[in-house]
Amino acid sequence: MKLNLRSLSPLLLIGILMLSTSCGQTPEVFKEQRTVFQIGDNPTWAKKVFNDSNWERRIKRIPEGKIFWSRTRIDILKSPEELRSYGLQIDAYGEYEIFWDGMLIGKNGNPGQESELPPEGELWVTYSIPTHLATEGAHILALRLSNYYFPDHVGYYEIEIADYKDLLTDLLIKTSYMHVFAGAFLIVSIYFLFLFLSNRKEYPTLIFSVCCFLIFALVLLVFSKDYVSIHYRTHVIRLQIINSFLLGISFLIPYYFSMQFPYPRRRLSFILYGVILIFVWLINGHAFNLKTVSMVLSMWSFSFGMVAYGVYKNLRGARIVLATLLLSVVVFLASGFVISMYTGLGLILLGMLYLLALNIKDQRLAYENTLVQSTRLRLELLKKNIQPHFLMNTLTSLMDWVEESPKKGVQFIEALAKEFDLFNKIENETLIPISQEIALCRTHLEIMEYRKEIDYSLEEEGIDPEEKIPPAVLHTLLENGITHSLPLEDNSIKFKLIFESTREYKCYTFLTFAACMEQGTETNVEGTGLKYIKARLTESYGSKWDLTSEQADHGWRNTLKIYS
Amino acid sequence: MNILIVEDESRIAKRIERMTRDLFGNSLQSLTHINTLNEALAFIENNTLDLVLLDLNLNGDDGFDLLSTAVAESFHTIIISANKDQALAAFEYGVLDFVPKPFNQDRLEQAFNRVFTKEKSENDQTKLLAIKKRGRIQLIPIADLRYVKGAGSYTELYLTDGTTELHDKSLEKLEQLLLHTFERIHKSYLVKIDEIKEIKVSSGSKYTVVLKSGDLLPIGRTKYKDLKTKWV
Repeated sequence: MKLNLRSLSPLLLIGILMLSTSCGQTPEVFKEQRTVFQIGDNPTWAKKVFNDSNWERRIKRIPEGKIFWSRTRIDILKSPEELRSYGLQIDAYGEYEIFWDGMLIGKNGNPGQESELPPEGELWVTYSIPTHLATEGAHILALRLSNYYFPDHVGYYEIEIADYKDLLTDLLIKTSYMHVFAGAFLIVSIYFLFLFLSNRKEYPTLIFSVCCFLIFALVLLVFSKDYVSIHYRTHVIRLQIINSFLLGISFLIPYYFSMQFPYPRRRLSFILYGVILIFVWLINGHAFNLKTVSMVLSMWSFSFGMVAYGVYKNLRGARIVLATLLLSVVVFLASGFVISMYTGLGLILLGMLYLLALNIKDQRLAYENTLVQSTRLRLELLKKNIQPHFLMNTLTSLMDWVEESPKKGVQFIEALAKEFDLFNKIENETLIPISQEIALCRTHLEIMEYRKEIDYSLEEEGIDPEEKIPPAVLHTLLENGITHSLPLEDNSIKFKLIFESTREYKCYTFLTFAACMEQGTETNVEGTGLKYIKARLTESYGSKWDLTSEQADHGWRNTLKIYS
Repeated sequence: MNILIVEDESRIAKRIERMTRDLFGNSLQSLTHINTLNEALAFIENNTLDLVLLDLNLNGDDGFDLLSTAVAESFHTIIISANKDQALAAFEYGVLDFVPKPFNQDRLEQAFNRVFTKEKSENDQTKLLAIKKRGRIQLIPIADLRYVKGAGSYTELYLTDGTTELHDKSLEKLEQLLLHTFERIHKSYLVKIDEIKEIKVSSGSKYTVVLKSGDLLPIGRTKYKDLKTKWV
């Protein structure tokens, strides 16, 4: 698994670098010169030859959706190839008509009538420039606009001129690549959501799934602009949603790392971090690019700190995750912000996935271990009745009873059959009713009475027959009691089981009333029997139990507490 | 015969007791049953015994501590145990027989017969001899033993490193335990067959064994024939 993930990340990196080189590395065919503005409306302002030297370089605000014009001088550096034409891609706030050298080449909405007519037009548009007007040399791009919704956003233009067909195809290629990228995250997100639903304690899985989903949504929202028409009026909402997704990602990724590489005062640091992020998210009004950069940088630095701590503490997987974080910096230095952001996020998520894979591997091993363990416990339970010390001694006594008193011998066999039967019934269980366990103890005492000829008795106090207990736990305590005790003067050994239940725990006290054995025998008490009991308790209650075994005046006292 | 039964299962102890009485009849002088390890150790120390019948699994204790003490004594030990997988180890310690549970009278009788060498011991696995030295039990590997010299009720063990140790068992009892690798060449000597270098015949039909170590040991007149067939 390690190998796979290690070899995967360079592959992804190469893929994304190839993607970044495939789009638009051809030399520019135009040069954008200064843009000037004038409030008012005059058809002659579209003309190629017009003296605009007295026009404003900058207008802060256009009042009341009034019409204004912009003129941009553009130098075409190279005429289009034969039978091809240039396209003009423009991204501007407002509804406008667009003129190239005085010729109307496109219309985006209804300039000047925005307050009366419903919003029309798109934020990103591509128009074809007539071939005969796209010759090498100076040209004028004139826009007749109105900006009713954002009167203070004048001149927020982006212009791209290239081969018309290439412009459209490049857009398509970029968009489709990014959608494949997003789709991968969606699938991973759904997969890990299902994993979480099947094991609801695994919060890292959920966080990873949410991160993947947010990245999917982010990419989809950012790159759907090329086929979903957005009016400039709604653009801010779009940017706000994008930034909210980014806010979520920026919080969750470091949070995830902190779960994997825990450190002291986590809560406090995350409250602080959350405050910083929300502060960045709220301030600076419409400076969305600045917000994005700040959030991504905070996320990176915070994650880096945590993973570096993980490396310092020599936690598993921390080195590889640190490597992916550093790699994302390399990508950042080698490419633009947009590409590095998605590549970087991809790399970081890959690091997170690696940690999850490690977790899943651990869980699988732990699960396999418990399977092996419970099989072993089952075998141990079955072995109780066929282990030679029990079986051969019982059979020897049985031979003797049969020889001496066949009737008693038959009763002995019946008791033995009953114990075997009870063992068969509980063989596959991890918890059985206490009444069944007590029945098992009683048949065992009956058998031992035939063997040892001691008067055994078992008293119960406060037993709730509905309570459950792992099989043969009391039986094992009873066996130990029989093995390690000598009868009292009246040739009896008495056992007593007391049950108490409180809000915090349930307690079984198992007392043995017998003569004390001499010193030197205590060391053997912690034998296979107690190991079996402890393994059974761990199987059913994890670490929420406590077993004490101690010598008492009357003989022996075992206390088993099961915490709720 | 003075016999001790060490067994913590009272029904089984009674069974052994009954069968022992049946088998030994009037030759039985005393028969004691003890069910704990410590009591058994004390009893062995303070009483003269001819045979101990020992269960290896007493109240969850390992019977091998008691076993090594028992085999160092002058009496023979017979194990009666439910754990057959302990048989090999018990034989290595030098027990006369291992009777697995459940057992019947015939099997017990077979074991008792070995006490009187009516039947050869099946034990060809004795690897250790336990001796009491300064109040402690020490185990000597049979491989280190060259020959044994009888000295009344006890024996002297002559070892390969030239030292001598005392053992509480009589030469007859050791002969029973070492039957397969040692040969009785004289009423006072038991020699490891592998250690014999040659047999010398001197005038007056005096026979002597020359050991690899150079030691010379006499051969009893009646033993010569047996030894020659075995040694060649």
